[in-house]
Amino acid sequence: MNRTILIAEQSEIIRKGLVQITGNLNLFDNIHEISCSSKLKTSLTRLEPDVLVINPALIDPEMQQWLAGYRDRKNGSGTFDTDDSNEDGDNHENTGQKEIKPGYFRIAAIIHTLIDDELKGLFDEVIQVGDTGLKIKGKINSMLSRPASPGSPVQDDTLSSREKDVVRLLAKGLSNKEISEELFISPHTVITHRKNITRKLNIKSVAGLIVYAIINGIVNVDELHDDKNINK
Amino acid sequence: MAGLIITGEMKLSDIVDGDKRALVLFPRFGIELGFGDRSVEDICKKLGIDLQFFLLMVNTFLNPDYFPDKQLKRVDVDMLIGYLVEAHNYYLEERIPYLQSLINNFKNRVDHPAVMQLEKFFDQYIDEVRDHLAYEDETAFPYMERISAYGKSRLPLERIDYSVDVFEERHDNIQEKLSDLKNLLVKYFPPAGDRYLRIRLLNELIDFEEDLINHARIEDKVLIPVVRQLEKQVR
Repeated sequence: MNRTILIAEQSEIIRKGLVQITGNLNLFDNIHEISCSSKLKTSLTRLEPDVLVINPALIDPEMQQWLAGYRDRKNGSGTFDTDDSNEDGDNHENTGQKEIKPGYFRIAAIIHTLIDDELKGLFDEVIQVGDTGLKIKGKINSMLSRPASPGSPVQDDTLSSREKDVVRLLAKGLSNKEISEELFISPHTVITHRKNITRKLNIKSVAGLIVYAIINGIVNVDELHDDKNINK
Repeated sequence: MAGLIITGEMKLSDIVDGDKRALVLFPRFGIELGFGDRSVEDICKKLGIDLQFFLLMVNTFLNPDYFPDKQLKRVDVDMLIGYLVEAHNYYLEERIPYLQSLINNFKNRVDHPAVMQLEKFFDQYIDEVRDHLAYEDETAFPYMERISAYGKSRLPLERIDYSVDVFEERHDNIQEKLSDLKNLLVKYFPPAGDRYLRIRLLNELIDFEEDLINHARIEDKVLIPVVRQLEKQVR
């Protein structure tokens, strides 16, 4: 597994210290550092780190919003701008440059003083300057093993592109096992996707999902496998 | 009137005023509308309906919290099955065809590629309901009638490999697809200039769903315990 961490901190002592400590953890293959917020957006887009450790002082309101949006997109729970035209899960041309590869992304704050209340929701973990190396290791480890935090508390019931893939294949009459083979994911993951789909849409039956898929252009009527889709 | 228990002294018309869902129950007992100010007791006497049984059915149907513990011992299984079969006929001959005609109107009026699939989904659901009802009418109820006949006359009982436990296990939820259908029409089916047609369809689906839930409650709270009692005596 190729893991990347990005450390954003103005103080050289603290930044170098964090690079040293995270280097000793043997958790990351790539460790990058930046010292000011002006490079933050380009670094994130270019490096796609799994973890960002950042000093909250680098985050102004505009950056806060951008980071929250970036994190939601990375974690597959957000939508792209207000553009509806990229509904089709397998059509990447539409999304062009804006496409960010899904994968969990987590943010930790490195703090010297108190943290602003408004910012708290942005972080998955808070590292104190006084923390020991061991404690920091524990925090990063637990952050990586936890499911990604839901990010901004916006209740978003639209399907992620992966969930749309699952709906499309279900509509074509594929079984869970066939879907897992088609998408190169485990059957267990297929089941998790299906649970999430049902929870988001409040549609439990496959037949109901097929209707939903047609309404939303996830699948074309002529793609349906005619007899198979009658099965449960 | 939710929560109010219906008694023999009440007027039939007052029951309807309080809860219009009671209307569908009358035909199942052979009660026709136009009954003036007659009380429940009067009508039952006139038509030869068992008053206690009538009250048990009405109260269980109208009131989710009604639990007829004491009265269960006196329930006659044949009477109960007679009632349930009447209810099934009402679904098959009245409710489902009406729903089908509404879906059909919707399909003809709305021009959208998903509408065909919606109809298919509905047909599939109706088949499920029919199977469910047919299973009860053809397999579960005849068994229950035999158990009851044995209890009454000690006629020799053939070997049976069925029990109310099987019935209970198979008594699956047939409302799930209905709820999907409602959701699709409320939340996801795009506006298609259908206005009142869709509202009428939704109202009917919601009524049907509620009717099925109330019906299932009678089977779960009355039929299953009563038959289980009988089984204990027989086996």
